Amino acid sequence: MSFNAPQELKDFITQNPFGPGRHNAAGRATLERRTVQIRDALADPEYSYGAKDIEKIGTILAVPILKGEDLLGVINIFHLDQVRLFTDKQIALVETFADQAAIAIDNVRLLDELRQSLQRQTATADVLKVISRSTFDLKTVLQTLVESVARLCEADMTAIRRPEGSAFLHVASHGSPSEYDEYMQSHPVEPGRGTVAGRVLLEGKPVHIADVQADSEYTMIGASKRAGLHTTLGIPLLREGTPIGVIILARRKVQAFTEKQIELAITFADQAVIAIENVRLFDEIQDKSRQLEEASKHKSQFLANMSHELRTPLNAILGYTELMADGAYGEPSEKMDAVLKRLASNGRHLLGLINDVLDLSKIEAGQLVLDLNDYSLQGVTQTVYSAVEPLAADKKLGFKVEVTPDLPPGRGDERRLTQVLLNLVGNAIKFTDAGEVSINVGVADGSFKVAVRDTGPGISATDQAKLFQEFQQADNSITRKKGGTGLGLAISKRIIEMHGGRIWIDSTPGEGSTFSFTVPVRVECQVEAA
Amino acid sequence: MSKRILVVEDQPDNRQIIRDMLADTGYEITEAENGAEALAAIAKARPDLILMDIQLPVIDGYAATRRIKTDPALKSIPIIAVTSYALSGEEKKACEAGCDDYVPKPYSPLQLLAKIRQYLS
Repeated sequence: MSFNAPQELKDFITQNPFGPGRHNAAGRATLERRTVQIRDALADPEYSYGAKDIEKIGTILAVPILKGEDLLGVINIFHLDQVRLFTDKQIALVETFADQAAIAIDNVRLLDELRQSLQRQTATADVLKVISRSTFDLKTVLQTLVESVARLCEADMTAIRRPEGSAFLHVASHGSPSEYDEYMQSHPVEPGRGTVAGRVLLEGKPVHIADVQADSEYTMIGASKRAGLHTTLGIPLLREGTPIGVIILARRKVQAFTEKQIELAITFADQAVIAIENVRLFDEIQDKSRQLEEASKHKSQFLANMSHELRTPLNAILGYTELMADGAYGEPSEKMDAVLKRLASNGRHLLGLINDVLDLSKIEAGQLVLDLNDYSLQGVTQTVYSAVEPLAADKKLGFKVEVTPDLPPGRGDERRLTQVLLNLVGNAIKFTDAGEVSINVGVADGSFKVAVRDTGPGISATDQAKLFQEFQQADNSITRKKGGTGLGLAISKRIIEMHGGRIWIDSTPGEGSTFSFTVPVRVECQVEAA
Repeated sequence: MSKRILVVEDQPDNRQIIRDMLADTGYEITEAENGAEALAAIAKARPDLILMDIQLPVIDGYAATRRIKTDPALKSIPIIAVTSYALSGEEKKACEAGCDDYVPKPYSPLQLLAKIRQYLS
């Protein structure tokens, strides 16, 4: 930039750039980082800059524009045709100008940097947005990456190669003619010096080639020539040091990518790695959940088959036992009758275990469907009472039932609710050695409430917490003494919850236990497990 | 004339139980081991009731039931399904196939007999 200079001198200076040195004033100011005055350029033995041959240069003042130690420029002032030293005042004035200029230039630079960094951030945010929107769609993510990186790094063509087997395939591109894409797609690349991607893979770091068409090792010159590509930049996509792809940026002229642009491309490469990883993980999770679903289906089928296989012989065992006890094969002796009773009771116990395991696995597989119909809770209570009354009588336990009169008709799965009450009352009788067991049935606020109280040993707070989990009994030694799968309460809990109700226990060791549940009087649809 | 019951069951022991269960009842029993044999037996002599096991080789109990229930000459024969599949919806499936009743295995022979008497009285 100049002011009031003859055109010829202006042209000469523009066309003859110079560096630090003694050959002219600006060179010396650059060298010494301070203001320099040359009294008479023509008489100065060191002054050799050609400008002196164009104009009769006299006195020159050169003031460096400095920001700290960084030289931002030099202000040159010439007296042409005369030797006249600049005064101290004039020099001070120019130096003040230089300081102002330094601030102005720096401000512009900062503003520029800010704008660029903002642009980078926006671009990164854009890419992240796309990644988060389409984690399952790698193609879209890669396409966004090649388009954004082309725009922000001022590349005419960008492409991404991804590994398949030992070779890297051209999977996404932007700005390239279709003929070039076809060529690249049909030419997988392996590590080697002959291609940009190959060289990146070989070196494991960015590769910057000033002009591929002039590179003696480059083997794809034909395609590059047809697409008119020269300066090329390749950036590896590294996951924990392993290349999972390469981004290639190319220009249709010879113009090196700036350091900033290379940095930006590396940032994009990092984003690409995240995107590719996300898709891979997403696919993996989908795959796993498909496998799990499959396994769960197999498990359910296995249990159904198993249950069938176990029931068939059990049918013969229980059937013959009943027929024998009934005298179908001759009247049994008293001793034999007692044995048949044990046979029947053990057979039924085995059936109970098979049913429990099947129930629980059905619940877990989400296959237990409530059969919702109208029912009478009074009827359910009566059924349970009749079924277990002999057991209570055997143990000489008191057995009381209190049912609020005029219970409204309920809606729910009668068979399953019977199962729950049978489980609670059966447990109460099983674990109570003296005293009584009572069932209390009432209704309040649109819900039935059923409580089963016993005078058994009671259950500690710690054991209460485990009670409704699968395969848990208050004390594992009890399983051996009292039998049971430890599944009954877990199943009961799920059944009650599927009715939208709640089941709980109140107990103090030494003072017996009360198991209670509530279910809505009218259950119109099943509540899915949480 | 005594009533005829067709027992369709592939498992010998379970056939024997039903035979023993019905021994003193005076009902006449015919037996079939699968759905195809059942259809052939019905064609030979029309039964008054069918005890139909569901898990059968060749033609299963549901398929055989559907064929019987779509034949106008046979559809009035009561069919009691006997199944050991315990997955939910089995009873509904039996219903949809046209079975008149459903008994899950293991069953009580005495209760099954009571059910048979109910249909044949």
